Amino acid sequence: MSNDMTPDTERQRGGMSRRGFLQIATLAGAAAGFTGTLARSENEIGYYAMDLSDDTLRHMLRTILRIRWHERTMADKMLSDPSYRAYNHFYAGQEAVATGVCAALRNDGPFDQIDLVYSTHRPTGHAIAKGVDMAKMQAEFDFRATGLNNGYAAEMHISDPDVGFIGADGMIGPGHVIATGSAFAFRARGSDQVSVVFGGDGTYATPHFHSALNNARLLDLPFIYVLENNLYHQYAHYSHSCPHADIADAARAYGIPARVVDGQDVFQVYNAAKEAVDRARAGGGPSFIEAKTYRYYNHWGAPGAEVGKLGAFGYDPLAISSFRPERELRSWMQRDPVDIARATLIDWGVMDETTADTMETDVRAEVDAAFAWAAEQPLCTPEDGLKHVFAEGVVAPRQMA
Amino acid sequence: MTVKTWMYSVLEAVQWEMRDDPAMTWIFELTPPVASNPDMPVINLETEFGKKRVVNTGIDENWMCSAVLGAGLAGSRAATYVPYQGAGMPFQVIQNHAGKLRHMTGGRASMPVVFVIEMTGQTPGFAGQHSDYEVDSAYMHIAGVRTVVPSTPYDAKGLMHAALRSPDPVVYLYPAGLRMLFEEVPDEPYEVPLDKAAVRQEGSDITLVGSGAGMPDVLGAAEILGADGMSVEVIDLRALKEMDTETLVGSVGKTGRLLAVDQSYYTLGPAAEVVARCAENVDGARFRRIAFPDAPPPASPEMFNWMRPNADGIADAARKMV
Repeated sequence: MSNDMTPDTERQRGGMSRRGFLQIATLAGAAAGFTGTLARSENEIGYYAMDLSDDTLRHMLRTILRIRWHERTMADKMLSDPSYRAYNHFYAGQEAVATGVCAALRNDGPFDQIDLVYSTHRPTGHAIAKGVDMAKMQAEFDFRATGLNNGYAAEMHISDPDVGFIGADGMIGPGHVIATGSAFAFRARGSDQVSVVFGGDGTYATPHFHSALNNARLLDLPFIYVLENNLYHQYAHYSHSCPHADIADAARAYGIPARVVDGQDVFQVYNAAKEAVDRARAGGGPSFIEAKTYRYYNHWGAPGAEVGKLGAFGYDPLAISSFRPERELRSWMQRDPVDIARATLIDWGVMDETTADTMETDVRAEVDAAFAWAAEQPLCTPEDGLKHVFAEGVVAPRQMA
Repeated sequence: MTVKTWMYSVLEAVQWEMRDDPAMTWIFELTPPVASNPDMPVINLETEFGKKRVVNTGIDENWMCSAVLGAGLAGSRAATYVPYQGAGMPFQVIQNHAGKLRHMTGGRASMPVVFVIEMTGQTPGFAGQHSDYEVDSAYMHIAGVRTVVPSTPYDAKGLMHAALRSPDPVVYLYPAGLRMLFEEVPDEPYEVPLDKAAVRQEGSDITLVGSGAGMPDVLGAAEILGADGMSVEVIDLRALKEMDTETLVGSVGKTGRLLAVDQSYYTLGPAAEVVARCAENVDGARFRRIAFPDAPPPASPEMFNWMRPNADGIADAARKMV
C-alpha cells in the first residue's frame, strides 16, 4: 500500500500510482497529448457533456476516481493484508463506461421513478456509479453482517434497489433478458423509467443476448444495452465467440439504433447514453451502446494473491491457448480513463491541476475510510443462512441430526 | 501406474478415445482442455486434434449441448465440457431431447454423447450461483440419461472411458472442488461401470452413503467414527442414474443403519433416493439423511460452512443412530 505517501509524492508519480502494479515507467505526460486526437466515436467529444454543469462534470471525474481507488485498494489488500477476505472481478480501466452511462440516468427518488441498472459479475464500477454506498458495498464484499446485503451476496450478487441498482449477476446472459422485463413493465404502466443492462463481449454468444434485443425491438421497450467490449471474456478473445469486429453491428441487424464509442472517454460514453435515454423516455424504443474498453487486471482476484499468479495481477497461467499480450495491455493503459477525464475538465476550464489533486486526495481518504469501516463490521451469524429463502420464516437446518 | 491429478486423468481418457476415433469431437468454452502432470506429456486436445474437432466456442451452453447431441444423432461420438457457470443452462436439451429421443423414436435414435457438467459446491464465498450443488438432483431425475459423479481421479478416468463408449447420453458431473486431487492412476484405458456404486470401506455398525464432492467429508466422518471404535461401511454412489440399489440394500441389510449424505439440497437429493430404495427393501433398519438445507448457499463463509454437511456433523449424526 502506498497510503503513507503524501499527495505531492503521488502527483509526481503521475498516473502511475493508480495502476502501480505494472510499474509502467513510460506514462509521464501520456495524457497530455490526447485532446482532439483520440475521438474514436461516431460523434464529437463533449456534444451533450459540454452543456452539463461544472458540478455535474466534476462529479463524473470524482466517480471515476472513486471507482479507480476502490479497485486499487482492493488489489493492494489482496496482495498485502492477510486479514482481508474479499475477492473481486476487477473493473479498473473501464471506469468511464459505468460513469458515463449512470450520469445520464435518474438515480435519486422514489423507486417507481428511478432508472434501473442490471449489472454483471463485474459489478463494482456500475454500483458505485449508480450511487451504491461504497462502505456498505465493501462490507458486503468482506462477508459482513451489516454489509449491503447482510453477507448473503458478496461481490457477485450485490443489489441496492434504493438507487435502482437491481444488481450483480454471476451468470452470463439471463440478466439481459430480465432487464427487458423491467422495461416491459415501465411501458405497460406508462412510466418514463429506463432499464439499462451492462454486458460484456462474451454475452454476444448467449441466446439471451439475441432474445433481449429482438424482444426489446419488437415491443419498442425503454431498454438500453451497454456492451462493454473489453476484448476478453474471461480468458478468451471475443473473436472466439463473435464474428463481428463491432458487436454493435448485431444490434443494428435487430433494428436497434447502435453507437460505438470510445469507452475510455467518459464524455463520449455520456453523449451516447444521453441520446439513448432521451430516445427511451420519449417512447422511441431501445438503444445499443458498444463501448470499446479494456480491463487492466486479471479476470478476478482473491486474497493471498501474488503478482503473476492466478487470481492475482499480471498475466494469467490459464492463458494457455488465448490470452492478451502484455503490449496490448500497456498500450491501452496509455489511454487511461482517469487521465482523459481529468485532462478534459482542465482543458474545459472546469477545474485546474490543484483542484483535481485535491479531489483525488479527498477520494482516497473516502475510500480508506470505507475499507476501515467495512473491516470493523460484525461477521454473520451462521443460523441466519436459513432466513430469506421465502418472504417469511426460516427453513429447517438439514445438515445435522 | 502414475500419480496423476484428477484433471489429467480425465483428459487422458478423452485423448485416448479421440485418438481411437477420428470422428470424435470435443466442445468447450472458457476452460481449455489442457492438463499437465509431473513426468507426463502435456495434454492439449485443441492443439493435438485441431480446431475442427476441438472447438472453443462462446458462452452458449445451450449450443454446446445441442451440438453434441446433434453430432451423436449424426453418428459421431461427441462430448462437451460445461463449466459450472452454465450447469443449468442446457437443461432443456438434455431433459427433453437427449433423455427422450431413444424412447420417442422407438429405439432408433442413438446418442453416444457425454455432457460434462462441472459442479461447484466446495467453495464458500461465491454465493448462490457459484457455490451451489443442486444440479445432481436435477440431472439424475431425467429418464434416459445416465448420470454419474466420480469422487476420485481413478474413477474420473474410468467413468470417462465408459461414458464416451456408451451408446446412451451420459451426464458426467464433474465436482470442481475435487479437481486438484491426485492418486495412482493406470496409464492404459479402463472402464468404471456407469451403474455400480463403490464400497470404499467395509463395516458392520452403520452404512454411510455419499457421492461426488461430498465424499471427502463422508470418509472423514468414517475415520472419526473408526477412531471411536465404530465399524463403518462407506458407499460412494458414483452412479446417480441408474442407481446401484443392490449394493445399497446389501449393505444396509447387513448393518441395519443407513445415514445418507448430500451436498445437494435436502429435498429430492440423491440421499432421498438412497433412503427410499433402502426403506423399500430392508425391514427393520434405521434411516437418516443429512444434506444442505433447502436454502441457496449464502456468501458469508460463517453461514455457508455451518450449512454444508461436514465430517464432524456426519459423525455426530451417525453416533445418534448407533
